[in-house]
Amino acid sequence: MDDHPVRITVDDDLRRSRLTVFFRLLLAIPLLIWLALWSIVALLTAIVGWFAALFTGRLPEGLHKFLAGYVRFTLHVSAYVGMAANPYPGFTGEPGYPVDAVIPAREPQRRWKIALRLLLAIPALVLAGMLGSGAGGAGGTPGDDSKLAWFTNTGVGGVAAACAILGWFVALARGRMPLGLRDLGAYGIGYTAQANAYLLLLTDRYPNANPEALGPTWSLPEHPVLLELADDGRRSRLTVLFRFLLALPHFVWLLLWSIAAFVAVLANWFVALFRGRSAGPLHRFLAAYVRYSAHLDAYVYLVANPFPGFTGAPGYPVDVSIGPAESQSRWVTFFRVFLAIPAFIISTVLNIVLLVVGILGWFAALATGQMPTGIRNLGAVAVRYLAQTNAYVFVLTDHYPFTGPALRAPAEPDMVVAEAAA
Amino acid sequence: MLAGAWAAAAYALWQSRVPGGLDLPEVDLAGRIDPDVIARSKRYESFFRIEFVVAQLVLIGVLIAYARWGIRFARESAAGRIGTGMLLGMIGLALVWISQVPFRLAEVWWDRRYDQTDAGYVETLFANWFELGAEFLFICFALVIVMALAGRFPRRWWLGAAPVFVGLAALFAFIFPYLSATEPLGRPDLEAAARDYAKQQGIEPVRLGVEDVTDFTSAPNAYAVGFGPSKRIVFWNTLLDGRFSDGEVKVVLAHELAHHSRNHIPESLGWYALFAIPGAWLIAVATRRRGGMANAAAVPLSLLVIVVLNLLSTPVYNAISRHMEQESDWVALETTRDPDSAGGLFENFTIESLNDPAPPTWSYLLFDSHPSVEQRIAMAEAWRERSK
Repeated sequence: MDDHPVRITVDDDLRRSRLTVFFRLLLAIPLLIWLALWSIVALLTAIVGWFAALFTGRLPEGLHKFLAGYVRFTLHVSAYVGMAANPYPGFTGEPGYPVDAVIPAREPQRRWKIALRLLLAIPALVLAGMLGSGAGGAGGTPGDDSKLAWFTNTGVGGVAAACAILGWFVALARGRMPLGLRDLGAYGIGYTAQANAYLLLLTDRYPNANPEALGPTWSLPEHPVLLELADDGRRSRLTVLFRFLLALPHFVWLLLWSIAAFVAVLANWFVALFRGRSAGPLHRFLAAYVRYSAHLDAYVYLVANPFPGFTGAPGYPVDVSIGPAESQSRWVTFFRVFLAIPAFIISTVLNIVLLVVGILGWFAALATGQMPTGIRNLGAVAVRYLAQTNAYVFVLTDHYPFTGPALRAPAEPDMVVAEAAA
Repeated sequence: MLAGAWAAAAYALWQSRVPGGLDLPEVDLAGRIDPDVIARSKRYESFFRIEFVVAQLVLIGVLIAYARWGIRFARESAAGRIGTGMLLGMIGLALVWISQVPFRLAEVWWDRRYDQTDAGYVETLFANWFELGAEFLFICFALVIVMALAGRFPRRWWLGAAPVFVGLAALFAFIFPYLSATEPLGRPDLEAAARDYAKQQGIEPVRLGVEDVTDFTSAPNAYAVGFGPSKRIVFWNTLLDGRFSDGEVKVVLAHELAHHSRNHIPESLGWYALFAIPGAWLIAVATRRRGGMANAAAVPLSLLVIVVLNLLSTPVYNAISRHMEQESDWVALETTRDPDSAGGLFENFTIESLNDPAPPTWSYLLFDSHPSVEQRIAMAEAWRERSK
């Protein structure tokens, strides 16, 4: 696994104070004002640091410490506003917050990388914008009206922002943040911190979107729909160049299959409502459709390489295993569409993330013949979540889609092969 | 017996309204068209002749390489026999597309030099992506049919595939007018003439439309599409922008109507059927040593065979096309009874579109789907002589 020097730590017990949750944004106003002022100073400091690093090959010690504090403070504020942590953060960016960043000591950096840092950082900033913190970020400063800066800074439409909004409702009702939403939010915020550290010359290691390389060991609860990843990262440049066009027959086929699937879902819903479990043939038909959609998503967005089959048969390098039909709560079945609304919201955001992964991966794979592992794994997480959402909506399971960014359950490998055993 | 039936069908399709033994008089081109314009049109078209030959050589070279090594792309597929065949077909098209990009750009460069287009280079590249997508879909559809039939009937698939493709071609020819975006003509004089000419040619009035092509060319053109209730005549707006007189436009109208009255579109489908059956058989024979069309490994080779067959049949198709165009010219002259306008129209084609009025014979046989301007002017003169 690729260990990035900028890592995040998550030491949060998921408990939330309902009162501070309710007033979270208002409580954050002083933090946000302070962050805005700090951002202005950080920008000026970064410019000075850029010239200094260009001549000496590393940031001056004082500037490094100042900017590291700024990156940590940004992360703390983002975690607080984004519901990924509970306590009110300090104003100095000191280490020790439940969601924190480990910033490496200053180290020599290649000068050409320093000179081109702003340009090199653009793909990472775009991705950070999508995984968005929902609060601060060094991609821009208040008053900077460039679109990239605005996107990165605000995290509008970002993953962390969506997690924050959904998490706000849950935490208010239950006094706890759901594990998946907390993890995904922390992942988005953590990646943004890596991007900020790279942009601000705290490290010359490029941000790594791989959820497994960010620091924490993300948990993955038992779920009948699991990801099976057997992709080697190699990509054929020719098929990458024409990827979208090559997928056209699949789009046509998916459209036709979707019509049949829609009818099958309605039938399955009625069956599950009366029998308490879905019918075997419908379950198999819809499971094949869910797998096929996952294969196609993986292919189109370059998460996988080979041209997928048209039947949704298992065995694709980025596959989802789906458990057999099981008993389901009739209440959950009856209200399935309404219950799925939060999953639809996360799915929508992850679809956009997949698109960004596809676009960035397209350039990278075309140039190198390889899909970067980081964004490939991020894409795989999105594919897994979309498949879990489909399985939930299609009444294949009543297990809610798990939002966390884990690729696989770390300590329980048997879970991954549960489908094969079944 | 099959050959006899083929010949009888071909003879029936070859019948024409042009009088047998019609002698075309000599035409003094230099006396009718500015010699500088003729020289310019020759320079203009000579580039395309060379470019076409080079492009075809490159295309065949690419497809030979693809037929030899293309099977390696099968490892990029997890899609089974037919799916892999579809992928190989699409990759073949992609390679063809890439190999032709420099030539397309060269054509635009040349057209721009001669003021035949305002299209930009980037625009040209991206304008083709939609078309390429449609071609990708078509080849997938075609391969599904062929490979499914070949899987069931490894040696006789072509007997079933050829009629299917003829049927699809007929379907496409029928629905094409409903798919293309045209505007109403808005010219009562032409609409009245169309009704009159249709009556003279013995058919029901045909719907007229205009297509805006100014974004990619300034060359004038019109075409007849559809059959049965979908019959249409479409004018490019470049033909109606005032560079051509009303009489000349009416000759075009009568010419396109003649394509409908003489059933040229159904006849073209008939010719397609006559070539599709032996063509499919040749593909089946050529791909046998690769396991036949049921095997995805045969797809790259089949693309090469199709392109070579297409290239070899081009002179024959062009001869058939010229024969039909000649008939339409003759029927148009009989309808309008206006050889002056017809002659003026063909002269204008040289002036406006830089059509070489008298191309070299080899070029004429290989490339030209219409009679030369010189022949068309001569036909107008021949009609004048006969009508006296």
